Amino acid sequence: MSHARPVVKPADDPAFMLPAALSALTTPLLGGGLLLLVAGWAVGSFMGSPQVGMSAYLAAFIYCLTLATGSLFFVLIQHLVRAGWSTVIRRIAELVMMMLFPLAILFLPILMTLLMGEGTLYRWDDPNFATANHLPTDAWAEKSRWLNQGWFTIRSVIYFAVWLFLALYFFRGSTQQDQTGERAMTDRLQYWSGPATMAFCGVTSFAAFDWVMSLSPMWFSTMFGVYLFAGSVLATHSMLAVSAYMLQKKGAMRDEVTVEHYHDLAKLIFGFLLFWMYIAFSQYMLIWYGNIPEETEWIYHRQLGGWGTLTVLLIFLHWLLPFFGLMSMFVRRRPAIIAFWAAYVLVMHFADIFWIIMPEATVAGELPYTIQTIGVASAVMCVVGMAALLTGLVLKVAGDTKVVAVRDPRLAESMAFENV
Amino acid sequence: MSETTDKKVHGIAAEYTSVDTLMDACRRVRDAGYTKTDAFAPFAVHGIDKALGIKPTKLPWIVLACGLTGTLTGLCMQIWMNGIDYPYIISGKPYISLPAFIPVAFELTILFASFGAFFGMWALNGLPKFSNPVFTDPRFDRVTDDRFFVYVDASDARYDRAGVEKLFSETGSEYITTVMEDDSPKKVPKFIITSWMVMVALSIIPLLIVLKMRVTNSSSPRFHIFYDMDFSPSKDAQQNTTLFADARAMRPDVPGTVARGQMDLNYQTGIDIDALAKIDGPRAAMLVRALDDAEAKADSAAKSDGAPKAAASPAPGVMDTTPWLGENPSELTAALLEKGQQQFGIYCSVCHGMNGGGNGLVNRRAQKILAGTWVPPSSLHQDSLYAGKYPDGKLFNTISNGIRKMPGYASQIKVEDRWAIVAYVRALQKSQNASIDLVPASKKKAIEKQQAAVQQKLKEQAEAEKKAAEESAAKAAKAESDKPSA
Repeated sequence: MSHARPVVKPADDPAFMLPAALSALTTPLLGGGLLLLVAGWAVGSFMGSPQVGMSAYLAAFIYCLTLATGSLFFVLIQHLVRAGWSTVIRRIAELVMMMLFPLAILFLPILMTLLMGEGTLYRWDDPNFATANHLPTDAWAEKSRWLNQGWFTIRSVIYFAVWLFLALYFFRGSTQQDQTGERAMTDRLQYWSGPATMAFCGVTSFAAFDWVMSLSPMWFSTMFGVYLFAGSVLATHSMLAVSAYMLQKKGAMRDEVTVEHYHDLAKLIFGFLLFWMYIAFSQYMLIWYGNIPEETEWIYHRQLGGWGTLTVLLIFLHWLLPFFGLMSMFVRRRPAIIAFWAAYVLVMHFADIFWIIMPEATVAGELPYTIQTIGVASAVMCVVGMAALLTGLVLKVAGDTKVVAVRDPRLAESMAFENV
Repeated sequence: MSETTDKKVHGIAAEYTSVDTLMDACRRVRDAGYTKTDAFAPFAVHGIDKALGIKPTKLPWIVLACGLTGTLTGLCMQIWMNGIDYPYIISGKPYISLPAFIPVAFELTILFASFGAFFGMWALNGLPKFSNPVFTDPRFDRVTDDRFFVYVDASDARYDRAGVEKLFSETGSEYITTVMEDDSPKKVPKFIITSWMVMVALSIIPLLIVLKMRVTNSSSPRFHIFYDMDFSPSKDAQQNTTLFADARAMRPDVPGTVARGQMDLNYQTGIDIDALAKIDGPRAAMLVRALDDAEAKADSAAKSDGAPKAAASPAPGVMDTTPWLGENPSELTAALLEKGQQQFGIYCSVCHGMNGGGNGLVNRRAQKILAGTWVPPSSLHQDSLYAGKYPDGKLFNTISNGIRKMPGYASQIKVEDRWAIVAYVRALQKSQNASIDLVPASKKKAIEKQQAAVQQKLKEQAEAEKKAAEESAAKAAKAESDKPSA
């Protein structure tokens, strides 16, 4: 009830600490995740081909990266629009966006693959690529001005530099406020959130072009960055809902996160489900309508054999089913059901990433038109491993700080927030 | 407050000064069991629905239904318009191609859902209303500023005036008012009526102008709203232009152009070109050139000995060694034969007769006026024209290029139609010596019946003729005998 002022607990209340049950999971998650990640890569590389192994690794990497960058985006947007409702769950996003640091290290294998192997992961890296695919020399020369090892490496460093700088700035600001509680910090973060959002959008879009779209070197779609971003924001909101639910189950922030916050998260998940489909379809329709060979190849590969089945399944399972599942307000005010759908969306988001990355992998020089067991197994092992590894790190960082921004000036407003 | 007029009482409202007292009052009103209630506040108060016991609105369902209706409308409209009612090829896509239809279906979903939300809200709130009796109390105006009101409607099943007032006074309201019927006049003011009338009258004027212009003559030129649509810069047929050296606006085909489906030379000529090339290379080359090359066509047209003639049978007296196609390359179907029958009726029957017997209308006329140069058309029912001696390809070639006095019909009849005629002629020939055994059993009875009827008729005719002949003979004999002897 709005007239009942919420009681903000003191900053050192156990409700703001990471529950012991979760912090106990840190070491097993770190160890098991690392093992599983290496095992997944090995299964793909030695039972399929080096490219399958690396593609599975890349799919896992991009999946975790979309969650981390999506969390960074979430934090930026909350500051940008001076949101009050989200203060109690913002810290979860802040913790996850710090995973950009380990992700920068996890990117090194991909960079090493590029610099040492010839076309192991990125086919354009193979010096014979143009001749093998009968590409016109002039067209390939133009492409090569952008897609070459040196410039690619420099760009990757720039992307990470921007992300890490933003993540660190906003994380440090928020954690400092935990000690001081000064309002000026909130003002400063809000002031910088505008330029930060612009920098973030440019960098994220280009990272999608470079790391994912260049897997198919001759294909291009200006919407691709937005497409990946749509899935990223969708998955991030799902991740926030699941995390908040788990933390509450284990006893943290019981009184702070209410059904109203879940309701809002569910609304955002619902909205971004449609946004994802909208962007995916926009990209598809323009390519389909233009019907130009170099544009359609990417979609065409994904319409053959098992990939075609997965494409149709994605439409129904990634969009239609959860869309109608979350349509009713009755559902959107029940945290357990929301947590289920959010977890479901997280799984489907990986199916989406898998669908983007894996069809470009080759076995014995052939594009596999069916989803092979090896590819699926290796990708799933990689992603579960990497996600577990990063979750362990998130828990480690969360143990050193709080799970709620305890002295944020908007905390009381957030706790008192009501939808209806 | 306690006026005793005969005006209708709509309900009772109570004023509060804070959100807390308002909420408290709402809860008490709810707990007392009133359902037709309302609360008024200058801003949104969270939780008031629950406090008043208002059920969640049905609006989302209306919006969902309208949205789905929009989706279906969009899809059905496009499928009907573009796929069924007026199939129209757009950039080579299928008539019914879902990806192209989704944007419109999506937009209509949103449009209908918006309409559903907007007008559904109107309907559920009983809008549009021009006034509400609560506005009769001037104190109620402060509800948009710093006061809160709770209202219980008189149509509530549990409503009783004293009870409600007592309830309100218990909640600590300082001002309780009875909401009366609005006593402002219900008549529409005169000036509004007048201005409506004037508007209607004025709106008729453009219509009248248009109507007048439609039935009167004018010496001033028309308005060209889109000048270039009335006077398109593009050329019409047969006009000339300065763009090209030959000054023709209509462009001939680029040399070497082959129209779709015209690569099959055997089909075009009725001759097995490969075989011909082995026997008579130059003639084959000439034929190919004639069919392929617009320039060669132009050249041959200039010469008297045209290239199409090349396909005609060699000069009389020379053995015809042309490797004609032995059988019709078209697939024999009922549709093809029907087409052949139709084309035969149009082009061939005038001379050859509907039955191919060589006695068409033109021939009869020629016989009647005893035309001197008339060569009677062949009957198609002779041994020398049967498939065994006169291959299908040769028949096709005759239709295309003519024979003796018969002109070629290549310029008038399409290739596939000429083949259809060939097929039909073969069917005609077969029909002349068909036996009843060939008729399928299901139709045998009907045919036999017809046969019997025709034979009966023929018999009658023959008898009638015989009779007539006998009669006339008898008459003649009688006349002979009646002649008076000299």
